[in-house]
Amino acid sequence: MNTPSSDNIYLPKIAVLDRSVDEIAEVKTFYWHFDDPAEQAAFKKFRPGQFAQVSLFGAGEFPASLPPSPTEEETFFTIRTVGSCTAALHSLEPGDKFGVRGPYGNGFPMEDYYGKNLVFVAGGIGLIPLRSCIIYALAHRDKYEKIQIYYGAKSPKDLMYLQNLREWEEGAGVEFNLTVDRAEATWKGHVGVVGSLFKKPGVRVPVENTVAFVCGPPIMFRFVIKDLQALGFHDGQIVSTMERYMKCGVGKCGHCCIGMAYVCVDGPVFTYEQIKKLGEDI
Amino acid sequence: MKARLVHRDDVLKIVDLLRQKGYEVVAPFFGRGRDTRFDNVTDENRDEIQIHLPNPYHPPKRFVLLQIERLLRIHQREGQIEIEPTYREPKRAIFGIRSCDIAGIWHLDRFFLGREFRDIYYEKRRENLFLVNVVCSDPERDIGAECFCVCSDTGPAARDHFDLQLLDLNDGEFMVVAGSPAGEAMFADPIFRKGTSVHSAKRRAVLESARRSFKPSTTSWFSAAIRHVSAGKVAEQTWEEIGNRCLECGGCSYVCPACTCFTVTDRRVGPDEVERVRIWDACALGGFTRMAGGHNPRKAVHDRRNRRFFRKLSHYFIQRELSIACVGCGRCAAVCHGDVGMPSVVEMIRRSAAEMETHEHAQL
Repeated sequence: MNTPSSDNIYLPKIAVLDRSVDEIAEVKTFYWHFDDPAEQAAFKKFRPGQFAQVSLFGAGEFPASLPPSPTEEETFFTIRTVGSCTAALHSLEPGDKFGVRGPYGNGFPMEDYYGKNLVFVAGGIGLIPLRSCIIYALAHRDKYEKIQIYYGAKSPKDLMYLQNLREWEEGAGVEFNLTVDRAEATWKGHVGVVGSLFKKPGVRVPVENTVAFVCGPPIMFRFVIKDLQALGFHDGQIVSTMERYMKCGVGKCGHCCIGMAYVCVDGPVFTYEQIKKLGEDI
Repeated sequence: MKARLVHRDDVLKIVDLLRQKGYEVVAPFFGRGRDTRFDNVTDENRDEIQIHLPNPYHPPKRFVLLQIERLLRIHQREGQIEIEPTYREPKRAIFGIRSCDIAGIWHLDRFFLGREFRDIYYEKRRENLFLVNVVCSDPERDIGAECFCVCSDTGPAARDHFDLQLLDLNDGEFMVVAGSPAGEAMFADPIFRKGTSVHSAKRRAVLESARRSFKPSTTSWFSAAIRHVSAGKVAEQTWEEIGNRCLECGGCSYVCPACTCFTVTDRRVGPDEVERVRIWDACALGGFTRMAGGHNPRKAVHDRRNRRFFRKLSHYFIQRELSIACVGCGRCAAVCHGDVGMPSVVEMIRRSAAEMETHEHAQL
């Protein structure tokens, strides 16, 4: 074997789990670092919206969004257990090792958005990839105009990243709006789908010179797109990340190829204008 | 390109020369029935190698992109993980590879080596691969009813990307063209003799007659199909008809020299050891796009068929991959039980597009 291992696009690097934290039912955040500090330093150059391939040896590999911002110290994934690989990750204990390779994909062009208003619309675990952009934008607060966050979850029990939500709620320089689909009488906040927040008294969504980030389940995505279009947003102003079955993450296995794009290398970030041309649902 | 002559009785000596140089040689043979296959050449079977025979269903693609290939061996012991990439660098020659399959390998080269991410497993298998192309010149034995390389512009004689190319002049001599320095180096052996312009003229005549031996094929409407597929102008109903006939077996992908898709899976091979392997996959299969949790954005069969033909024929991917992803070998047509191989699909698209155009005229 005389080829440098970095030339092997399928070779995962060893990662160590530091700790895992419960977010909501079936969803945990896993803090980890690479065994090799050089790998860690190289990985930390990722952009918001990129993803990584996570290996649980014996179970397989799956693509995962990167919820941290590159401006943060720690690297972590927030993962819902849905299949055999994610279940294997959920069973890990601190100190256990697994594999990570990446970062992959185009990511959000955050520099191109300098001087613009940013409107984040997240539904459920759609907040995972958007968290990276929000933290990044707040870390570069002077580069952007208004920053608004609209976050909807099924119920108060389904709210993620509570620490961040509190910071955004109280923080200066960001307008934060929260809603749940249904709640007990004790819930003091807004009730309704995330799009209903746009019509809440006191809310004014800027349309001119604005980029709207939309991430969430397909049904939420479709309705929010309609709401944004009704407000006057053009399809090119709306950005999202596509989720597809992926095996390689590097444009070879073919599973995520839709329309004219390989989601893994040409995406996963697309404008809604581009998504429509791909010809498949989000 | 340099060329030489080889006498019919010396042609298999090329195989011997390659074996002497340390190449593991695969060549085409007849199976037990009417089937044909590529197999390893041994001292025992060497004389049974066939020059003129129907192209095997199982394309020689599998020698560069294995149907099942181990990528990594992972050792897990006492909390430690060791990952060992398992590379193979065979020194292999394919004798008797047809022009369509040469085009197939060239297609894989561009896909696996020509992009931002290079596939090192493919690269190592490809590096020492020596290709001896045989031009399909015999209308009875070489050129099948399903062949349409003349429409895909890949045959019957490959233009390049071979090391040596053999063409039967039908007079006891073969003309051999060298397509690479490695191929030209073979000419040092005395079996290769100099020819004259008479032989060159003969080669052109044989080729011309071979080109005329192809049966009429619906793929002569390729350009119409490409245009309609690229513009998204194929009626949904046509895709549904194609989908209704698809048995979702994936056979078309498995025999296609230009198909590249694979899946990756881990398998336990010992108490502390796991292998990560990649396996050919097919977009015809329902699970191809199914995500964990069950959501499948491309559930309908006809959507999956639409996908296959868009990927193979659209202008966008022609620009990206430098050619259509069809080499005209006809294998998909030969294996498809629902008769929705490439030639039939091209015909169905053409017919449906023509109908739509007729309607337009009716309105005037």
